[in-house]
Amino acid sequence: MHNASIKEFTKDFIFPKKGTTVFTIALVIGFLMTVVGYFVGGIDGHRFWANILLNGFLIIGLSLGAGFFVAVHLIAESGWQTSVQRIGEAMASRIWLGALMIIPIILGVHSLYHWSHTEELDALLKMKEPYLNLPFFVIRMLVYLGGWIFLLSKIRQVSLMSDTNPDIKLFYRLRTYSAIFVVFFAITSSTASWDWLMSIDAHWFSTLYGWYTFSGLFVNSIAVIIIFLVVLQKIGYMQHVNNEHMHDLGKYLFGFSIFWAYLWISQYLLIWYANIPEETTYFVTRIKGFETLFYVNLIICFVAPFFALMSRGNKRKSDWLLYVSIVVFMGHWIDTYLAIMPGAVGAEHAHIGLFEIGMTVMYVSVFAWLVFKEIAKAKLVPENHPFYKESFDYENIK
Amino acid sequence: MKSNNYITGLFWDDTELIKAIKEIQDKGIAIFDVRTPFPVHGLDDVLKLKRSRLPRLGFVAGAIGGILAFWFQSWVFTTSWPLNFGGKPFFSVPSFIPVTFEMTVLFAAISLVVGFLIKSGLGPGAENIIFDERTTDDAFLIVVKITDNSQSDNIFEVLTSVGASEVKHVEPTKTDTHA
Amino acid sequence: MYISPLREPLVTGAKSYKQVTDDILNPMEGKPGKFWYAGITLALIALGLGGFAMYITVWEGIGSWNLNKTVGWGWDITNFVWWVGIGHAGTFISAILLLFRQKWRTSINRSAEAMTIIAVMCAGLFPIIHMGRPALAFFVLPYPNTRELWVNFNSPLFWDVIAITTYLTVSVLFWYMGLIPDIATVRDRMKKGIGKKIYGLLSFGWTGSARHWSRHESMSLILAGLAAPLVLSVHTIVSMDFATSVIPGWHTTIFPPYFVAGAVFSGFAMVLTLMIITRKALNLQNYITVGHVESMNKVIIATGSIVGIAYITEFFMAWYSGSVYEQYAFVNRAFGPYWWAYWIMMTCNVITPQLFWFKKIRRNLAATFVISIFINIGMWFERFVIIVTSLHRDFLPSSWVMYAPSWVEVSIFIGTFGLFFTLFFLFIRFFPVIAVAEIKTVLKSSGEKFIKKGDRDEK
Repeated sequence: MHNASIKEFTKDFIFPKKGTTVFTIALVIGFLMTVVGYFVGGIDGHRFWANILLNGFLIIGLSLGAGFFVAVHLIAESGWQTSVQRIGEAMASRIWLGALMIIPIILGVHSLYHWSHTEELDALLKMKEPYLNLPFFVIRMLVYLGGWIFLLSKIRQVSLMSDTNPDIKLFYRLRTYSAIFVVFFAITSSTASWDWLMSIDAHWFSTLYGWYTFSGLFVNSIAVIIIFLVVLQKIGYMQHVNNEHMHDLGKYLFGFSIFWAYLWISQYLLIWYANIPEETTYFVTRIKGFETLFYVNLIICFVAPFFALMSRGNKRKSDWLLYVSIVVFMGHWIDTYLAIMPGAVGAEHAHIGLFEIGMTVMYVSVFAWLVFKEIAKAKLVPENHPFYKESFDYENIK
Repeated sequence: MKSNNYITGLFWDDTELIKAIKEIQDKGIAIFDVRTPFPVHGLDDVLKLKRSRLPRLGFVAGAIGGILAFWFQSWVFTTSWPLNFGGKPFFSVPSFIPVTFEMTVLFAAISLVVGFLIKSGLGPGAENIIFDERTTDDAFLIVVKITDNSQSDNIFEVLTSVGASEVKHVEPTKTDTHA
Repeated sequence: MYISPLREPLVTGAKSYKQVTDDILNPMEGKPGKFWYAGITLALIALGLGGFAMYITVWEGIGSWNLNKTVGWGWDITNFVWWVGIGHAGTFISAILLLFRQKWRTSINRSAEAMTIIAVMCAGLFPIIHMGRPALAFFVLPYPNTRELWVNFNSPLFWDVIAITTYLTVSVLFWYMGLIPDIATVRDRMKKGIGKKIYGLLSFGWTGSARHWSRHESMSLILAGLAAPLVLSVHTIVSMDFATSVIPGWHTTIFPPYFVAGAVFSGFAMVLTLMIITRKALNLQNYITVGHVESMNKVIIATGSIVGIAYITEFFMAWYSGSVYEQYAFVNRAFGPYWWAYWIMMTCNVITPQLFWFKKIRRNLAATFVISIFINIGMWFERFVIIVTSLHRDFLPSSWVMYAPSWVEVSIFIGTFGLFFTLFFLFIRFFPVIAVAEIKTVLKSSGEKFIKKGDRDEK
C-alpha cells in the first residue's frame, strides 16, 4: 500500500455540526433524567455522592486506561496500533475532565467514607487514621491527578509535535514519557483505588484490589476505544482501519475480559475459601443485598464477551465488536456500582433509578463530546511514527 | 497406462513459488501438492485451502472436558461421598473451578493434537511420500499428479516456463516412502 | 509483511535458508565437544547425588529431612515452586509471545519450551518424594476403588496435581508438534542408517505439505491460545497452596497474579542464563542476538517491577489491615532470625532488575548473565521467605521454632540441577535448539540480508 492511497484513507476528522446537536440533546436528556430522578427518588446525601464518585471514577478510568494502552504500545514499539493510536491519545488527553469530575468527592467525603467521621471512630479506624484522614486524602488525590494530567498531556503534546517534525528524537522522548507514566500509573492506580473505592468499606482490605480495579478500567477503555473507532468508521472516517486492526482490538477485549474475570475469581475464591469473617463480610453484603446484580455482573463482564468473542470471525467484525463493547461498558458500570454502593449507600437505599442512569448519560455525553472535539484537533494517524507503515501490511494467522 | 506418477518442479524462492503457482493455475493444471520447508505466507490463499476445522474440534472437546469435570466433582461431593471440608457446602462451585478449567484445557489440547495428526496422516510409522529431501531444507516443490504419461511433456514445459530450476518425473517406489 | 527497516534484524550475518539449516543443525552432527562431555558428566554426578539422597528419603523416611511440626514445608516446597515458576517462561515465550506476534521469540522458543518441560519434571519430583509413602503416590488420582474413596477436589494440593499434569502434557504436546518439522529436516539430511530410521520415526512422516503446514499453523495458534491461560492458571493454583490458608503472609488475595509475574520473571532469567552460554557454545550468535537478549531483559524489568509493586502492596496492606499477626509476619521477615534471607531476596529481586532501565546494561551480555543468576537466587529466597517465615512463627508463640535443611534436602536440590542439566545437554545433542522452520519464516522480512540461493557460490 503506497503512501498516496494511505493519505486518501486517513482524511482529517472534522467535527460535524450534527455532533453538537446530538451531544446537546443527550446532555439535556441526561440532565432532565438526573433532576427528575433526584426529586422522584428521594435522593439523600449518600446516594448523591456515591453517584458522583461512580461516574467520576468511570470517566477518569477511561482516560487512564486509554493512556496506559497508548503508553504501553509506545514502549513496546508496536506497529499495528499506530492506526488507532490517535483515539486512545484523545481519550487520555481529556484526563483533566476526569479530574474535574472526581475532585468534587472531596466535598462528599462525609457521605462516602466512615473514616471521615473523626468523632466516632472505632479502634480499627483510629489505627488507620495516619493514612485515612482528610488532609492526606486530598494531598494524595492532588498528586495523582497532577501527575496523570502532566504525563498524559505531555504524551499527547509530543505525539502531535511529531506530525510536523519527523525527527526520531521525538519518538524517543515519547517513549520516555510513556515509561514514566506507566510506572507512575502502576503505583497510583492501586493507591487511588484504595483511597477512593476500597476505603468505602474501611474495615475491609484486599491486596489484590488495586490490580482488580485496574483490570476493570482497562477493559472499559478498550471497549470505549472500539466504540469511538466504529462510530468514526460509520460516519466515513478511519477507513484505513481494516479487519486485522479490529481483530487485534477484539483480541484485547476478549483477553482482558478473561483477565478481569481471573482477578475477580482470585479475590472471591481466596476470601470464600479461608472464610475469615472480617474478609467475607465484603462479599456477604453484596450477595445478600445485591444478589441479582452480583451475578449479572459476572455474566455481562465475563460470560458474554467470552462466548461472543471466542470465534476468530467475530473478533474481526466492526459491528459485532461495537455491540459487545457497549455490553462490556455496561457490565463495568455495574462492577463499579457494586464496588461503591453497598458500602456507601447500603442495600436498602441503593437503586438503579432515573438518577443513576441520568447522571451517567450526562457524564458520558460530555466525555464523548470533548473526546470527539479533541480527535478533530489533529491528524487521525501519526504519520511520522517510525513503525506507522507496519500498520498496513500485516495479517493475523487464519 | 494408468499409474500414480508425479512431476515435480523445484524452486529456490518462496515469492517466485507463489507467482509460479498462479501461472500454473491459470493454465488450468491441477496442483497435487506443494512442499515447503516452512509455512509460506500467502500459500493458503493461492492454493485456496479451506480453513481448518480443528478449532471447532478443540472447542467441542474442551467443552466436554469442562462439563465432565464439573459434573464429576459435583457428583462426588453431593452424591457419592459428601464430606465436610472446612465447613464448605457440598456443592461448592468456587472450588470446583480450578479442576474444571484444567480439564477443559487438557481435553481441548489433546483433541487438537490427535485431530491434527489423524487428519494429516502423521504419526510414528506413517509412510508418506518424500519427493525431494531438500524440501525440508531450502527448496520449494510443486507436485503435479499425472494419471497417464501423455500429459507429462506438456507439464514439463509449463513447469520450466514458470521458472522451476529442476523438473523431474517421479515414480514413487517403496524406498521413497519414509516412516 | 512489512517490517520497518528501523527495527533491529532478528537474524544477522546475511543468511540464506540453507545456511540457517546448516548453522542450527551443525552442533548435532559429528562428535560432541569436550564442553558437552564435561557438562553432562557433572550433571550426572549431581543427579547421582540427588538419586542417593532420594533413596535415603524413601528408605529412612521424611525424618531424614529437618521438617518439624511447625515448619511442615521447607526446602521441598520451596524447590517445587521455584522449578515450576522457572518453567513458565517457556510457555510464555511460545504461547503468549506468539499471540502478540513477537517475531523475536523464534530463536529462543524451542530451547525455552524444552527448559519448561525439564523444569516441570524437576518440580514434579518434590510432591512425590515429600509424601511419607511415595509408593502410594497414585492415591492422588481419582480412580474408582473398593473403599468408594475419592480425592479431595476442594484442596489446592489436588488442584496442583491436575494443573501440573495438564501443564506438562500440554507443554510436551506444544513443544513436540513444533519440533516435528525440524526433526524432518534432520531426518532428510541424514544418510541411510539407524539414525535416519529413528529420526524418521520421530518425525511422524512429516512432508512439508502445504495442507499440513496450514493445519499446523491453525493448531499452533489454538494451542497457544490454550497455553496462555494455562500458564496463568498453573502458577495461580500453586499460589493457592498458600493463599487458601489463614496464616499471615500466606493468606493474601494478591498471590495469584503476583506468583505468575514472579514465575515469568524467574523463568526469563533462567532462559537468559542458558541462552547466553548456549549461543556461544554452539556458535548461534547470529540467531540469538543482543537484540533478543534486550527484549528478554525488557520482560524482566516489567515482571520484576510487578513483583516489586506486589511487595509494597503486601507491606502496606499488612499495616492497613490492623491485624497484629499480619503486621508481625512482615516485621519478622525483615528483622527476625531469617532477616538475611529477606534482604537477599529484596536486593536480588527488586534492585537488580531495575538496572535494566539502562540501555547499556540491557545490551551487555556479561551483565545480563550475572543479573539473571542473581534474579534466580532472589526468586528462590522469595519462596523460602514466604514459606518458612510464615510457618515458623504464626499465631502461637509456644510453637515457634527454627528450620534449617538437612544434607539430604540440599542433595536432593542439587540432584534436580543434575536432572535438569542432564536432560538439557541431551536435548542440545539430539534436537535442534532453535526452531529452524520458524526462523526461516522471519528470515526474509527480519533477516539482516536475505541471501537467495544462487546468489552465492556453492552450498
